[in-house]
Amino acid sequence: MKNKNLLFLTLVIFNIHFITAQSIVIKNATIYNGIDDTPFSGNILIEDGLIKRVSESSLQADEIIDVGGKIVTPGFIASDTEIGIVEIGALDVTRDDESNIYSIGFSIHDAFNPNSTLIPWNRANGITSAITLPRNTSSPIGGLGSFFVLDSNLKISSEPDMVMIGRIGGSSSSSRAEMLSLTDDILAFAFSISSSDMKTNLDIDALIDSSSIANFLELKARDVKALHKLINKKMPIIIKSNRASDILKLIEIKEKYDLNLIIMGAQEASLVADQLAESKIPLIVNPINNIPNSFDELASNINLSSRLEDEGILLMFNASRDHNYHLIRQGAGIAVANGMSYGGAIKALSSNVATAFNIQDRGTIKQGKVADLIVWEADPLEPSSMPEKVFINGIDMDLTTRSSRLTDRYTKNLDKPNTYRN
Amino acid sequence: MKNMNTLLFVLILSGAAFAYADDAPYESTYKPLPYTNTIFRNANIYDGDGNEFQNTDLFIRDGKIIAIGKDLPGSSDFIEIDASNKWITPGIIDIHSHMGVYPAPSVRTSSDGNEATSPVTADVWAEHSIWVQDPQFALALKGGVTTFHVLPGSANLIGGRGVTAKNLQRNTINSMKYPNAPHSLKMACGENPKRVYGNRNQAPSTRMGNIAGYRKSWIKAEAYLSRLDEYEAKSDEAKEIGYKPTRDLELDTLAGVLRGEILVHNHCYRADEMAMMIDVAKEFNYKITAFHHAVEAYKIADLLAENNICAALWADWWGFKHEAYDMVQANVAIVDQAKNGTGCAIVHSDSEIGIQHLNQEASKALSAGLKAGYEITKARAMKWITSNPAKAAGIYNETGSLKVGKNADVVLWSKNPFSVYALAEKVYIDGAIAFDKESGLEPNSDFDTGILNPTKNRIKE
Repeated sequence: MKNKNLLFLTLVIFNIHFITAQSIVIKNATIYNGIDDTPFSGNILIEDGLIKRVSESSLQADEIIDVGGKIVTPGFIASDTEIGIVEIGALDVTRDDESNIYSIGFSIHDAFNPNSTLIPWNRANGITSAITLPRNTSSPIGGLGSFFVLDSNLKISSEPDMVMIGRIGGSSSSSRAEMLSLTDDILAFAFSISSSDMKTNLDIDALIDSSSIANFLELKARDVKALHKLINKKMPIIIKSNRASDILKLIEIKEKYDLNLIIMGAQEASLVADQLAESKIPLIVNPINNIPNSFDELASNINLSSRLEDEGILLMFNASRDHNYHLIRQGAGIAVANGMSYGGAIKALSSNVATAFNIQDRGTIKQGKVADLIVWEADPLEPSSMPEKVFINGIDMDLTTRSSRLTDRYTKNLDKPNTYRN
Repeated sequence: MKNMNTLLFVLILSGAAFAYADDAPYESTYKPLPYTNTIFRNANIYDGDGNEFQNTDLFIRDGKIIAIGKDLPGSSDFIEIDASNKWITPGIIDIHSHMGVYPAPSVRTSSDGNEATSPVTADVWAEHSIWVQDPQFALALKGGVTTFHVLPGSANLIGGRGVTAKNLQRNTINSMKYPNAPHSLKMACGENPKRVYGNRNQAPSTRMGNIAGYRKSWIKAEAYLSRLDEYEAKSDEAKEIGYKPTRDLELDTLAGVLRGEILVHNHCYRADEMAMMIDVAKEFNYKITAFHHAVEAYKIADLLAENNICAALWADWWGFKHEAYDMVQANVAIVDQAKNGTGCAIVHSDSEIGIQHLNQEASKALSAGLKAGYEITKARAMKWITSNPAKAAGIYNETGSLKVGKNADVVLWSKNPFSVYALAEKVYIDGAIAFDKESGLEPNSDFDTGILNPTKNRIKE
């Protein structure tokens, strides 16, 4: 068992670009470290991109930033985004989120655009890293998401293809029973090849030839490699599902194939919270979504997050409106207004994502972690409150956005014609 | 027994006839719930007209606001509520809702918001699509929304009539309609109509096609209106000899706009297109009441203020379409502050989720405005979701602010409503309590009843 743990996919992204080796102390911070439920007053030493010390006593550095008691949190991690692969939703030429050829092994990683306007925008609103997911394929499982650090560097810091996605639920084209059976068949195939030698694509082609389901789905080498990683490395798989009965079926599938399963949506999770807690399945929920938007989501309730927290389920948040992935903060605030603990909500935005996806070097404020930190002007769960400073990899990031530039163009230097303003 | 049944049947029939005999077709039959005459003591109040009062009492009686002031004498006829450390605002008004026409669950069989079969469908009325059992009404009520304006969607250049309703779920739309509120006309610029019809190789497929489409319709409407006016100007004798112009549903609506009886609500994102729509309105001598979505309103805020046009705006949504790419969070504030603060800004969400948190959307917009350097009070920002949408819906004389004599549409909040932690504790519509968190009083639609578990309601324990 211990050896098996070593095989778990762990993410340590250390592709850091240091502008300067200058050390920084964030002084007089009210620190929510993503580990403890309550904050403490302290100082944080940043050196070489890392958190070198967190201490209640004073620390020395090249630069001291006294934040006067303001709240400091880990940089928030958005677990369900299209950042870097969709610039304008309704404009196909700016979308890189789907493939007509690959299914299970479709990777969006190489499409990531570090110059996307969504990156400065979400960063200035407190998101320092994100998991970007492709659009669901026609297959009930398939498509690979990657983890990206939102530092706008053309040399990207990322963990490619660290999560698979899937979907089970009501659909206009086929029965959910078909989706569940197909999922089971695909996973049985994946399980059957888990000890196979896959040194060359010829080996993989032979595996595909010998499997009726792999043949039927016209799987490619990339698809099979992804399935191999899913089983052998226990790669996390996010399955979107809402109905209580579907969630129970997913729990069975998780146990059968020993999957590292995360359920997203989970609008009826409160009806099966015991079972979810027992099988230790983390959930990605939208705390603001209480709409019975389909017949799979009849139990939608504004109290969902609070009820799941009470059962000890590891929670992460997503947001319903694309582009503004930072609105998970507002969602977290609404979760707290409806009964969730404040410390729990902060963790859902930071350390819980790191835990669920094995992102080992981020998500908490702790000695040795990468210095992704936010200094907040006020309460981070109030959507009216914004980051005052954002550190990514220990670097004090510029918070200018295209939106802030446009605001300036229409509120400053109004004596000049607008096209001659900055 | 048989006779008795017959008798009962006759009574029911005559009762029904009696109840409906006086009502003109399509008119509001709204009746408030039984009044809950109430004194709120020591409340903090945003009155919706830009004022803030602290530790102040508010009296509501027989559906109306009857007094606001300090240390007012009480009376045993009133329920007395200690509102210390709590906040009171007018009922929130959503100027851009698709509740009922795009109800939950979102399924094909009840997605009735866009009559996308022709670019001009001024003949359709949103109220004829509204499903009154939509469970979203009750959710919006818990977010403090007492009045909402439902529009057809934006597939068409001219999408049809919108309707304003009280957020009291009833079994017929007429019994929810806001009495005497004017109809609106939904128009839409930009990407949506040109995409919907362009994809069918039909006009409009370009923005110039859009503008031509509106102008052609208004030319027809002008001709129709002059025929109507000509006929109506005739003497009774002349009317008997001549024929009355044949009614045309589409042109009835457009003529209603030209007569100033129907308010134009225009979906439009880009600044240059809004400016063009103002030209179209000038050409045909009608008024645009509000631009909706108006992501680029900040670029022409002065023009909007000069023309007395409101802009109904998101706090922060963007990027889903090219015309929604230039979002600034200070949009609401810039529109509000235009021409020495004479601009009319409205915060909307166009979302079944956002409608439940319009106070938070206003809070985000306010915060962005303050960061952009404007001095705007919370009391003023409250206008964005109360009195300004009331004006745009043509019902400001009756609701939208807490003034003596106005309808008692009132929300009691647990905390300052600009905080994410504030919850609506009590919501009153026309001086009658419609939602009470404390006692558990809340509406449940027929849809909610026994659907997950036959012995329970959908979201009640």
